[in-house]
Amino acid sequence: MNLLDYVPGDSFLHKLNPVTKLAAAFLYGIACILSNNVLMEAALIVLMILISSLAGLQKRALHLTKNLFVLGFIMFVLQLLFVRDGDPLFVIGAFCVFTTGGLSSALLMSFRIVATMLPLMLLFAITQMNDLCGALVKRLHVPYRYAFIVTTAFRFVPLFTTEFHDIEDAQKARGVEYDTKNIFKKIGLIVPLFVPLLISSLKKVDSGAMSAQLRGFHLRTVSSGYHEYPFHANDAVCLVCMALLIFVAVIL
Amino acid sequence: MIEIKDFSFCYKGSDTKAIDGLNLTIQQGEFVGITGNSGAGKSTLTYALSGIVPHHFTGDFYGAVKINGLDTVEVSIEKLAEYVGEVFQDIDSQMVSSVVEDEILFGLENFGLSHDEIGQRLEQVLTMLKISDLRHRQISSLSGGQKQKVAIAAILAMEPEIIVLDEPTGELDPESTVMIFEILQKLNREYGKTVIIVEQKIMMLSQYTDRMIVMEEGKAVYDGPSKEIVEHVDLFDTLGISVPRVVRLGVTLREEGLYQGAIPTDVDGAEVMVKEVLGC
Amino acid sequence: MLKFDHVTFSYPDEDRDAKHATIKDLSFEIKKGEFVALIGSNGAGKSTISRLANGLLLPDSGHVFVDGEDTTKVRTSAIAKKVGFLFQNPDRQICQNTVEEEIAFGPKVQGVDPEEVKKRTAEALETFELKGDWFPFNRSRGERQRIALASVLVCQPQMVILDEPTTGLDYKECIRIMDYITRLNKEQGLTVLMVSHDMELVQEYASRVMVLTDGRLVGEGPTNTIMKNMEILKQAHVLPAQIPMLAMRFGDRFADVYTVEEMTEAIRGGVQK
Repeated sequence: MNLLDYVPGDSFLHKLNPVTKLAAAFLYGIACILSNNVLMEAALIVLMILISSLAGLQKRALHLTKNLFVLGFIMFVLQLLFVRDGDPLFVIGAFCVFTTGGLSSALLMSFRIVATMLPLMLLFAITQMNDLCGALVKRLHVPYRYAFIVTTAFRFVPLFTTEFHDIEDAQKARGVEYDTKNIFKKIGLIVPLFVPLLISSLKKVDSGAMSAQLRGFHLRTVSSGYHEYPFHANDAVCLVCMALLIFVAVIL
Repeated sequence: MIEIKDFSFCYKGSDTKAIDGLNLTIQQGEFVGITGNSGAGKSTLTYALSGIVPHHFTGDFYGAVKINGLDTVEVSIEKLAEYVGEVFQDIDSQMVSSVVEDEILFGLENFGLSHDEIGQRLEQVLTMLKISDLRHRQISSLSGGQKQKVAIAAILAMEPEIIVLDEPTGELDPESTVMIFEILQKLNREYGKTVIIVEQKIMMLSQYTDRMIVMEEGKAVYDGPSKEIVEHVDLFDTLGISVPRVVRLGVTLREEGLYQGAIPTDVDGAEVMVKEVLGC
Repeated sequence: MLKFDHVTFSYPDEDRDAKHATIKDLSFEIKKGEFVALIGSNGAGKSTISRLANGLLLPDSGHVFVDGEDTTKVRTSAIAKKVGFLFQNPDRQICQNTVEEEIAFGPKVQGVDPEEVKKRTAEALETFELKGDWFPFNRSRGERQRIALASVLVCQPQMVILDEPTTGLDYKECIRIMDYITRLNKEQGLTVLMVSHDMELVQEYASRVMVLTDGRLVGEGPTNTIMKNMEILKQAHVLPAQIPMLAMRFGDRFADVYTVEEMTEAIRGGVQK
């Protein structure tokens, strides 16, 4: 399962205006960045998972958290080794491996990175890319051209992945040893695959452009969109909550 | 109405003419099948109707292609799109959205129709093609036949007079192929659309279309009623185009002097023929 | 040559949709030198079976044996030396800059002696009427399919799997491709498994047919027998080829009639009586 795929649903989170969702995800992230308290960061992560479970996304949220902690761990190690504030905590001979400042900074940074990324990634689970772009065009008057490029790029990712797998299969079927254990050999074998992938991608993009043109792509104006994306009371409530969250994050 | 006069086209960078001195008139409401070997110029002809040739694919353009009196060289692709809708051969790459509803909305939104009008047309094409249940589905999860219907719906929503399709059933199984032809027939008969379809399956063309054009090396080597193509089997043989087995049987029986009647185009017709020959 | 022994296979949850059929407890065997067609509508599991047959997919339970070897126990690249695979879309296969390099690519990666590769490539270019210095990507669909076929056969497999080999080809190219394969089948005993829903093609070339619906075999037998079994064909959502269908309308009268020639002959006999 792709971790950024849309998960269809009917929850109040799904029903928020896409612009609100985007703003809320950003505000939540800002709260995480502004907070300087490890416990607060941990609480923010838990809170996010709880919020997700309201939309039936607890599994996705936990899965994402787990994956993000890999990134968090790398951050942890780097911070631990490079931040030299405070008292030496772990010393081998004359060499100080890490300090108290390093440890607290590492903990904070690793939790913060997870807490910040989580809402942004969960955004995709409750928002269809085309809704997001449609709303941005309609409500924030983002040029349609850019919105279209972004949706198309997102749409092409799974298409290209499938195409790449099919190409890989075709090459495997003629005896190219992708099942080799030698990683360098494998990389060497994969490189030629980009030729057919590139060629089929170019064809697809050109054909897509042609099709868009035939259906009046260039005539599009901001007001063209069919869906209205109105704001409701819930949207306001959501944004107020996020503002409060930032407030709490700053004072704690 | 489509009028093609002394039309030749040579793609930029190519040294052979894809279309070579073509003359053709297609009236409003015709159901036309185009067939021929690969490289005969069929796709180029469809591109010329929608203005992709010469606006998107450039090259040397001779003669004139006119859609309802508009010269395709002079007007934009967008203008032509009001009259001609085209469904391409590669179904996957012509989709511009990931959800069925958005795919159909795309053209409607672009052409700046009113909100009510868009809603109305959306409902209309969904019912017309019986795909209301697919409305909120991801396009990537659809079968080939369903995708083809969505592609046709997206074009139909823009209400063009003329619908052009390039091998729409190429990758479909027999059941879905029949379904697509039934839809096209309905569009032609009930809604008066001009339908132009490029197709390898001669059997389907002879059953469903009114008029057939056979192309070879950029020229139309046959242009006449679809029912009569069975009288030109020798032409197909020279070109290396397959004819349905029942047609072959009819022709053979005639050559043997056993049968004088009309050549059948389907199994039902063949049954009548064989009964007549056997006198039972 | 190829044996499926109670094979069950399903795709992981997220890939399961109309295009990905589940295979349920499937058993069959294809002997050396046979020409077998696998028919069924889109989504019946034809592509899944062909991918199981060359180790691209491995069964969840049961075994697939290629030339006596269990596909779970040997590497896909080893199976590839025995089983060639012609895909519906040649563009996924072609990855070299010239037709010559493309054809030589298969035997080269399979470790064939360079002198031998050269010789075989030259032969293949001639047989398939291709030019070695062509840039493969902008040739016509039919030519690209021929390049793909040449690259598969140049590896001298014992068996080929053809996945809808004639899709998108005109009749001329279709005949050309099928004639090469038939010749190798007759002259060198190449085993062929052809996936198709073109019943005329099946009628003309295959000697045995397996009918697939929803991942299960609902019938198999000599082409002529299956072609007149409406019951089974209906389950697979296909119609018989035209002449057998016509013959069936006359009950036992044309019991042995399958081709235009046979039909003409039978009718002539009938008239003379």
